[in-house]
Amino acid sequence: MTWRRETWSADHALPIGVTTRAQVGDLVRAGDIIAAGATVGSALRISGARRLGLAPRDLEQTLRVPVGSDVRARTVLARTGRRFARTVTAPIDGRLLHLTVDGDLYVAPIVDRWTVRATLDGAVSRSDDATVTIEGEAWCVQGAAAYGPDAVGELTMVADGPAADIAPSRIDVRLSGRIIFGGARVSAEAITRAHACDVAGLVAGGAAPAGLRVVYGDTVTASGLATREDRPTVLCLVGFGSAALPDALYAPLAAMSGARAAIHALSARLFVFASADVGVPDSPSPGETGEIDREAAPSRARDEERAVADLETELEAATQGEEELIQSADISSLPER
Amino acid sequence: MTVSAGPKTPVEETRVALGRPLRVALLHGREDTAQRGVTQIALASAAEIVARVRATDSRPFVEAAHALREAKPDAVVIQAGSKDTAALAELLEALRLGCGPQRPAPRIVALVDPRLADALRPHAGAFQFDRYPAASNLVGALRDMRRAGSGDGVLRDALIEDGARALAAATATNALAVDVSDRVTSLVLARIDGRIEAAHLTPLGVGEGADRIVARSGLDNVRRWLPWPIDAPALLERVFNRVRSQSPPPATDAAILLEMALAREAIAHALRDATQAGFDIAAMRSASAILVTGRAASLPRASQSLLVLVDGLEPTAVATVFREPDDGRAERIAMVVSVTAKRPAKIRFVQAAGRSTAKVTPGSFGFLAIDGDVDVAVSGAGVRGHGRSGMLGALVDARGRPLSLPERDGERIPAISRWLAAVQATAAPGTA
Repeated sequence: MTWRRETWSADHALPIGVTTRAQVGDLVRAGDIIAAGATVGSALRISGARRLGLAPRDLEQTLRVPVGSDVRARTVLARTGRRFARTVTAPIDGRLLHLTVDGDLYVAPIVDRWTVRATLDGAVSRSDDATVTIEGEAWCVQGAAAYGPDAVGELTMVADGPAADIAPSRIDVRLSGRIIFGGARVSAEAITRAHACDVAGLVAGGAAPAGLRVVYGDTVTASGLATREDRPTVLCLVGFGSAALPDALYAPLAAMSGARAAIHALSARLFVFASADVGVPDSPSPGETGEIDREAAPSRARDEERAVADLETELEAATQGEEELIQSADISSLPER
Repeated sequence: MTVSAGPKTPVEETRVALGRPLRVALLHGREDTAQRGVTQIALASAAEIVARVRATDSRPFVEAAHALREAKPDAVVIQAGSKDTAALAELLEALRLGCGPQRPAPRIVALVDPRLADALRPHAGAFQFDRYPAASNLVGALRDMRRAGSGDGVLRDALIEDGARALAAATATNALAVDVSDRVTSLVLARIDGRIEAAHLTPLGVGEGADRIVARSGLDNVRRWLPWPIDAPALLERVFNRVRSQSPPPATDAAILLEMALAREAIAHALRDATQAGFDIAAMRSASAILVTGRAASLPRASQSLLVLVDGLEPTAVATVFREPDDGRAERIAMVVSVTAKRPAKIRFVQAAGRSTAKVTPGSFGFLAIDGDVDVAVSGAGVRGHGRSGMLGALVDARGRPLSLPERDGERIPAISRWLAAVQATAAPGTA
């Protein structure tokens, strides 16, 4: 287990209901939104081909709305005929989710929105409705296990040495949005306190399994638990319990304090975006020594707001397109005279 | 001792492969037989069950699709009757929605009648859909998927099945092979007529799969086998670190006892899963010949392997026990006589050299020095059988079935220590 700087690949699994996603070749930075979508509720099955009097395989040609689009109630989903038109309309506001082999349609209400952020600086090498993969160069250390969602933030040291624990008393709201690291151990108290203080993630030699059970539930195992929900992110580099970090790990980690970093929970990897010469961050960081800059948190929050605003604009543009589509569909649904 | 003076026979070298982990989702009909059928197929092929959906599942369409996407199955196993056609068609639509973009795409393998297969195939869309006429063919197909990339290596689970079959043939009785390895726990019953019932549970073992024992059986079920008080966090830490450290063979007394505790619970949990899958557990427990392999057989002392087997399996008859460590030869270690009498009983051994009797009180546990072929009969308890004692003699287990341990540490720890001492399984030679 050592630090290596090379080209890495990070898979980002996407839930059902993708609206937009980065395309192959797009350049992204860790923390950028690479996919956004909608969480849908219980779907309604609507008779499609049978209602239109078509063979199931012909329904797709008559669809007025592509599968995967958001729709409004009474939107015409499919239509046949000219003088005596037959139509299939959406019964609810939601998303046209799926077209079955029998020629039926599933429409589900949208109950929430989700976004997935990149954990690596680099280029998108694969992009489909299940996964977005990014390849890029970074310093990386392979951990033993990671728990919680992916995390991106500034690497900040909060312990006194490789054998020291992350003390809960050293965690406060000034560390919001950062990935904090310590030496040997992180306790359940430190994990929950960090989460309450909006710390992006915790990195240590080990974590108490009993503490992990308290935070993540009794079914937690030693192989990690990558989730999407709002939970703390913990990366155990060496093992479980108290595991002092070897010098080969700790020294570069301490030297890179202040650099941008990301925890990729699925692969239990810590990526640090610093130049090839360890200790010189690529991007200027507020505190070169790892000390906390009181102004940093608000500026980071502004960056987050800007990113979400960009996404919202993007989504709004997409929605506008859909509204136009809906309007045209409404017009086309009028009976011809 | 027999010394062969014949010509040397070339030994065929076999390369053993673990095969790649195979994740399977099970879709089954509303009948319990279908549920048991698909579970048996998954266990026989040593696949990890990552999702299980019944045709009458009340989960909404989107939730089913989401569960299947999260499960990322390599294969989807289907068994159902014609009544479930519509429900299964909808589940396949959910599979298309959930796993459509998955690469490589899951393969659908079905144990259904040809008409149902024809009805379901269109709903599989672009997924490969194969129907198999018998469960054995389907298990073979899943094993082929696991074997992909392993060259001509023989899968470890197939090797254990061969061992059980060979033992059944050699002893002309039902034989059971019990294997506990780093990641897999196997129970294979080979009958005299050549039929096999195999359950390979993965991930469930004493190394890489140790944390699953704790997650599925509970920490207290592991802790109950340890002859010293230990708090839950400390035990959990030890178990989790075993997973990370590639768990080398145990070197200290404490490590051996922890490995024994995990192995017992792995076997007990495998039995519970096998019971739910409809395997013949009574036949497994009453097998006359039992072979212990893997990590459970590699413990420093034969008596430790024997104790793990007796506590985990809880045999119910007279059985001859063998063990075969991964890097050693098979050896006969003992004969086990399980007595469930509620009153003191008489146990009679009949050998070529004569007969002997001993008194057995309920709760007693220990060895009797008996050699060679023995006919055993216990008065009143209905136990009767034939076995061959090994290097350790005959272990008479009158602790009762099911084996229950006292709840309180003050009673449990002395009981466990007494049992360990009774079979001299407390410490390995040369360990501290």
